[in-house]
Amino acid sequence: RTTSGAEPESARARGARSERGERREGERGAAAIRCVAYNNHSNRLAVSRTDGTVEIYNLSANYFQEKFFPGHESRATEALCWAEGQRLFSAGLNGEIIEYDLQALKIKYAMDAFGGPIWSMAASPSGSQLLIGCEDGSVKLFQITPDKIQFERNFDRQKSRILSLSWHPSGTHIAAGSIDYISVFDVKSGSAVRKMIVDRQYMGVSKRKCIVWGVAFLSDGTIISVDSAGKVQFWDSATGTLVKSHLIANADVQSIAVANQEDSFVVGTAEGTVFHFQLVPVTSNSSEKQWVRTKPFQHHTHDVRTVAHSPTSLISGGTDTHLVIRPLMEKLEVKNYDAALRKITFPHVSFHSQPLQRVSLPRLECNGSILDPENIICSCISPCGSWIAYSTASRFFLYRLNYEHDNISLKRVSKMPAFLRSALQILFSEDSTKLFVASNQGTLHIVQLSGGSFKHLHAFQPQSGTVEAMCLLAVSPDGNWLAASGTSAGVHLHCTVPAYNFPVTAMAIAPNTNNLVIAHSDQQVFEYSIPDKHYTDWSRTVQKHGFHHLWLQRDTPITHISFHPKRPMHILLHDAYMFCIIDKSLPLPNDKTLLYNPFPPTNESDVVQRRTAHAFKISKIYKPLLFMDLLDERTLVAVERPLDDIIAQLPPPIKKKKFGT
Amino acid sequence: MVQLRPRASRAPVSAEAMVDEGQPTSEEEAEHGLLLGQPSSGAAAEPLEEDEEGDEEFDDEAPEELTFASAQAEAREEERRVRETVRRDKTLLKEKRKRREELFIEQKKRKLLPDTILEKLTTASQTNIKKSPGKVKEVNLQKKNEDCERGNDSKKVKVQKVQSVSQNKSYLAVRLKDQDLRAARQQAAQAFIHNSLYGPGTNRTTVNKFLSLANKRLPVKRAAVQFLNNAWGIQKKQNAKRFKRRWMVRKMKTKK
Repeated sequence: RTTSGAEPESARARGARSERGERREGERGAAAIRCVAYNNHSNRLAVSRTDGTVEIYNLSANYFQEKFFPGHESRATEALCWAEGQRLFSAGLNGEIIEYDLQALKIKYAMDAFGGPIWSMAASPSGSQLLIGCEDGSVKLFQITPDKIQFERNFDRQKSRILSLSWHPSGTHIAAGSIDYISVFDVKSGSAVRKMIVDRQYMGVSKRKCIVWGVAFLSDGTIISVDSAGKVQFWDSATGTLVKSHLIANADVQSIAVANQEDSFVVGTAEGTVFHFQLVPVTSNSSEKQWVRTKPFQHHTHDVRTVAHSPTSLISGGTDTHLVIRPLMEKLEVKNYDAALRKITFPHVSFHSQPLQRVSLPRLECNGSILDPENIICSCISPCGSWIAYSTASRFFLYRLNYEHDNISLKRVSKMPAFLRSALQILFSEDSTKLFVASNQGTLHIVQLSGGSFKHLHAFQPQSGTVEAMCLLAVSPDGNWLAASGTSAGVHLHCTVPAYNFPVTAMAIAPNTNNLVIAHSDQQVFEYSIPDKHYTDWSRTVQKHGFHHLWLQRDTPITHISFHPKRPMHILLHDAYMFCIIDKSLPLPNDKTLLYNPFPPTNESDVVQRRTAHAFKISKIYKPLLFMDLLDERTLVAVERPLDDIIAQLPPPIKKKKFGT
Repeated sequence: MVQLRPRASRAPVSAEAMVDEGQPTSEEEAEHGLLLGQPSSGAAAEPLEEDEEGDEEFDDEAPEELTFASAQAEAREEERRVRETVRRDKTLLKEKRKRREELFIEQKKRKLLPDTILEKLTTASQTNIKKSPGKVKEVNLQKKNEDCERGNDSKKVKVQKVQSVSQNKSYLAVRLKDQDLRAARQQAAQAFIHNSLYGPGTNRTTVNKFLSLANKRLPVKRAAVQFLNNAWGIQKKQNAKRFKRRWMVRKMKTKK
């Protein structure tokens, strides 16, 4: 669907047209979040979704998604956990425990646990043991060895599936939640010492079985359980008795996470509400404390399947695909914009395509629907339009496209070389003769394409010692320079750009001046001149001046940078909610000037004034933006992903009675 | 059925036997009984009942006396006959089964890869269990399911996945039977989750209703997001379409 909608401000006078391409349903929507796991040491969050993708967010780098593992159809992850030494494990309904290699961004191995589908997994407080709860009612203990995990023993087998697990902080006991009961195991002997029967309904009877979705074991022996009847219950594990029961929802309470200090915990319900419980003294100067439900948060519309508790914030994720991070005011020292709610809707998946002929673009997309159980990691189309390359986790595909008389035919280039097995980033050179592939071993391959065949030209090996995966590539239009950035904020060319402690979110090389423009996750933009090997003057001025505070407070990272072929002073960049043209010849705004212009210009003088006011021309017409680029001199292509489309595809939410309906 | 028992003779009995007078000597009686018991050659093939009836004519005679030995012999004969038949049946069945087995083996052999390759595979898998794979082989497994049949033979080597036998590690051999079982379990698990979250008894509403809730509470009320229900009366609509087509055809015909 193309409409010539409103044009960007600065280009209005020049008459450039912009086209709006809306994505069809079902092409790329984020999948529902199934589990989150917070790592205290590195302040990172691992998020796994129902399609099997795992994303790693760096919470200290402005909540930037730095790593991404593509999913697989058969992998239905049900549990995710961090173990000692920054190792990430996940377990799913296919019965396998998977370890992720965070350096090479691939799966290290998948080990079958031989217990049927795995429902829950928990790492011991010391981090050296892993416990899984299986479909057949068995609880299995694994020892984490330096390169693998090893099965140690089985605990007593229970009657029904073990849906939730929790270690006692000392590592001596385990609480396992199942259907209609909770068992407490002794780790040394492996036998069940206590069995607590859970009521099916709060003060009543019910035919539906009560599923204990989450358990948490505190160091004083209290077990907190959340179940499908909407209750949060406190049990005493020494005697096996119920201490307190709270009915907090009419629907399931599906997740629970306890803070490290054990003075607060958070639960998520199926209605989308997240409750915060805190241990508060009974009266203001008494030493006796009790658990009180303090704050409800309604940031989700669908089930909240998982929650996590970091020292300063509550993290929740669920079926509505949003990841919500709510910093707690009482835990923060500095109350600035960092204390605001963060809602991450669109995972930052590298979405690269060079839109070519307008006519062929929609048809290209439907030709490219591949029934592959594996998800595509990255893809690229060559500027001339005759090559399409994409890569999944295990294979690399290269297609030759022939476009004649309105007919499109795709021909696959077979016999890919072995080193091109799995690519993290693919890029074509401007003249479409070279293909740059960043593999997940850290090497960068250059392949020459000519006619219908290809030839491997060169491979850049990773820098001394580091097996780091190159995540972002940028090539200069004249074909002389290639920039690659790794996951840990280093940009490498034939030299290295000075390091910056925030990761790179986007980079591009300008056509004639060969300036490399880099955007970081803290919303800083740098311009580096490659031939001169230093930052440009404009970049230095900007750094000295500083960015506008509203610019720095944007939530979403800049995902794409591009340039106008005829206007070297313009940089076009966009993030999820705005796109901006930076005019380097205009003065920079200071904190007092208006960065966004909410109202359209009223008269001619207004237009002129706005056009010359400051360098940042921002438009929020199209949102949420997935991709925007210049098609030719006068046309801009913007790809939106309306939120309503995503919501329309979600599973049904819990019915809520609203007054007046 | 041939009766070997001595039967009553058909020879006319002397008049003295008919008349129930006097007390014939026991010897005579015995003789008579014996005589009566002897079958005539001519009447050997006749059924027993007739004989008995015939015997009853002779009125109040004692039933045939069989010696224990003869009865025993008879019983033994019967037993032997039965045993013979059973043995014959058994052998027949065995034969049949043997032939069937051979047929199956033949068919299997035809399906399997040549023995040499399979031998290599099983030895490779056995060593791989103990050591890490490092052998260089040129086996190119095209059919994965054959492997599982072979794997059945070696019970000790309970492999889920045969380590790839090529240096390049370009393929992986997997038992299809296990995959099916695993897929079935995964399906069952997902069905459980779906049932417990979205099944009967849960209080779920539709996406349409959920999105339209906001429309209902606006100051200017709007219709639902998906107002039309195009799925109602499908049969009726189809019938109407068919009728309309037929009517048009009829109309065209009458016009002409």
